Amino acid sequence: MSRSGEVKALGDELRAAVGAFMARASWDAAGREADDARFNELALRVFRYQTVAVPVYGQFVANRGIDPHSVHDWHHIPPVPARAFRRFPLVAGGEGEPVEAVFRTSGTSGGEATRGVHRVLDLSLYRASLLPTATRHLNPQGESLRVLALAPAPRDRPDSSLVHMVGVFHEVWDDGGGGFFADGQWQLRTLELLSALEDAEASGVPVLMAGTAFGYVHLLDLLAQEGRTVCLPPGSRLMETGGFKGRSREVARETLYGDLERRLGIPIRRMVNEYGMTELLSQFWETPLADPPGPDHDDLSRRSLVGPPWIRTRILDPHRLTPVPPGEVGLLQHLDLANLHAVSALLTEDQGVAVTRRRFRVLGRRPGAEPRGCSLSMEELALARSQGAGGVRDGAPVRTGGEAGNA
Amino acid sequence: MPDRFPSWHFPPGAVPTPGYEPLDDLDVAILDPDQVDHLLDILEASAVELRKIPALERARRLGAVGRRLGDRGDPLRREAEERLPHQAGLSPAVARQLLDRMSGQWTPEALERLVHVEFSDPAVLDGFRLRPGAGDRVCAVGDRLALHVGSGNVPGVGVTSVLRSLLVGTPVLLKPGRGDVVLPVLAARALAGAFPEGAGALAVAYWPGRAIPELETRAFERARRVVVYGGMEVVRSIRERLPAHTPLVAYHHRVSAAAVAREILAGEGEAEEVARAAASAVAAYDQQGCVSPHIFWVERGGSVSPEAWARLLARELEALQRTLPARPTAELSARIQTVRGEAEMDRALGADTLVLAPGGTDWTVICESGFAFGGACGGRTARVQAMDRLDALAGSLTPWEGILQSVALECPEPRRTELARSLAQVGVSRITTLEHQPWPAPWWLHDGSGPLRALVGWVSLEMPEPSPPSC
Repeated sequence: MSRSGEVKALGDELRAAVGAFMARASWDAAGREADDARFNELALRVFRYQTVAVPVYGQFVANRGIDPHSVHDWHHIPPVPARAFRRFPLVAGGEGEPVEAVFRTSGTSGGEATRGVHRVLDLSLYRASLLPTATRHLNPQGESLRVLALAPAPRDRPDSSLVHMVGVFHEVWDDGGGGFFADGQWQLRTLELLSALEDAEASGVPVLMAGTAFGYVHLLDLLAQEGRTVCLPPGSRLMETGGFKGRSREVARETLYGDLERRLGIPIRRMVNEYGMTELLSQFWETPLADPPGPDHDDLSRRSLVGPPWIRTRILDPHRLTPVPPGEVGLLQHLDLANLHAVSALLTEDQGVAVTRRRFRVLGRRPGAEPRGCSLSMEELALARSQGAGGVRDGAPVRTGGEAGNA
Repeated sequence: MPDRFPSWHFPPGAVPTPGYEPLDDLDVAILDPDQVDHLLDILEASAVELRKIPALERARRLGAVGRRLGDRGDPLRREAEERLPHQAGLSPAVARQLLDRMSGQWTPEALERLVHVEFSDPAVLDGFRLRPGAGDRVCAVGDRLALHVGSGNVPGVGVTSVLRSLLVGTPVLLKPGRGDVVLPVLAARALAGAFPEGAGALAVAYWPGRAIPELETRAFERARRVVVYGGMEVVRSIRERLPAHTPLVAYHHRVSAAAVAREILAGEGEAEEVARAAASAVAAYDQQGCVSPHIFWVERGGSVSPEAWARLLARELEALQRTLPARPTAELSARIQTVRGEAEMDRALGADTLVLAPGGTDWTVICESGFAFGGACGGRTARVQAMDRLDALAGSLTPWEGILQSVALECPEPRRTELARSLAQVGVSRITTLEHQPWPAPWWLHDGSGPLRALVGWVSLEMPEPSPPSC
């Protein structure tokens, strides 16, 4: 099934409306509050469109007995769990609709079967959300930069939203000397990387390093092994994302940033963490480059994340999904207008705490935290199956054809 | 939160003054390489004194653990009750029930019976005994030193594991799971008074991940047998690290389930009774145990439909909130919300799925049509799956051989034995009832093997041929 003409026309109309909102939205706190009503009105229109355009979501909402036209506050839009993107066709028009990109999560813990999938109907929305946000948080002066990505080139990993993001940075900001220094399996191309770092050091052009925490650990190992320290030009900055989930080695963030400062010559206050999800087309960023200089930028524990004006976040009591009082820990629930042609309201399993009305911190799992219990988890089952014990579908219940006579 | 708990026990004189560091509600001992070697030396040497005491006498003396932790007035028991809820993420009522039931498996009587069930002639643990029909004499020997690693976090696993080791005369170093630190340390304190030779052959030390590499590396090198409870990845990584000649007894994570036959659903009364037992089995350990049922295959054709039975189960789970309240952690609640949302999405796609749940995440019943197999969500999340014929169950389970552990089979004979035979073919190692499912006997065939027999080596003493008569 694909979208009817009428639904498509509605989608186009809302695409224009979301684009207009993005263009006019205020980034400062006061302006954002002034935009509340406009955000709410647009979120509700987007919600109503999604219940029609994404059939499974429409039915999900109907099964809860909710009439989309009776919802008047975006806080009451029913979210889908982020993991639902792994199993269900959450795209306008459903499974048959042609899409411009299919982004998948890296799926380190459960093999192919547990990878999240986001079918992106309109990549221009991704770019429209990303560029103003990333410019603000990574390149507020709009300088020409040397983009050194510890990531594969987009042609090698077209299914990675992170690679796509870094590809946009390279396309828009690179001075011609940067590039991508990992292969399709995310292995660093060490010789080229060392040589590029040397060139960058000599060029005087400010560098943007972009990569995952795990990639930076490998880079530090490489520099230590080679006994090398570089001093990248003044104005260089570093973007870090991704964390260590499912990897064999974890390093505290303070240690990682400190080591990177010593080895690369980029001060910690110019290192920026990005928090994104394959399922969302907008991202959240730390603000040391966007905010006026201050002592908080050196203290990682005082930093917080902020998204663009077209994404809003609620922090909910995990037990009852009601909002928690300010300052208390809860589950992050986002509403991203850039997810126009999928589902905007997403419930994550990430915990966070609000710092201000717009800013929050994500609380990661403690390193070495063990799962509770000795029952086989859904992820383990998926992993066991991906390693040869039959064909699991995401650790969720899997139906097999063994039950003769079941209608 | 109570004061921080010292998460170790060492034999007297092994590590007189260990350094330690705080970790949440625990103090964690930090040993240097010399201390590690000295500890392992002392443990190895303790085997001599331990084995001087005959096996059945060892069982009786080790039973001090069950006697003390089972006595609600005992200071050790009171400390366990105080600390377990926070440590293991359980409500106080669930922790109390767990202590009552588990301590019953550690009494002198239970341990003595365990030795008898495992070795029909327990003296085989103390010396050579004739092997009928074989013409030789055999004895069962423990190891000089064993390392037990419990990463699974279910309280009680560590104590059961070290008692098994000491019963067969093997000194043991236990690294308990993060949520199972308190009970083994308290058990060691119980032994220190009642059975010094036992306490002298037992060391308990918790450390997170690979935080004390010397201890871990040396223990893996010197242990003559390693027992591990944990996830697939933990088992895999330990298997890779062990020398080829060191036996590994691995209890990897598994899933348990239940099946309810249509004959049981002939009347409301029996259906309710089974639902009550099912709710209790789900609530015990809040589904953290490998014996906890997660999936219920319910047969159609009885006068109570699978959907109606799911509603009975939901009612019983709600009723249990009064006596055995759930206390889901934030992480667990998050996962439950996802699982509920995904079930709703299944329904939206046209599946005949029903989600029964209260306002919070204390329990969840997801009723589905047809067989499906999934891993555990935990936190009292029961999947009820309506099936036309339970006879088809074993065929559907073939791909999951080695993953399914206990199945509670609520079904009258002779059909029950027939179904059990087919489940045995697909790797189910325990077929039980819902009432007994969460509380296996001490002598249960743990993942298909005798719990003590898995920990011994056998030695055969062959007789010299009688000399030919001289002429």
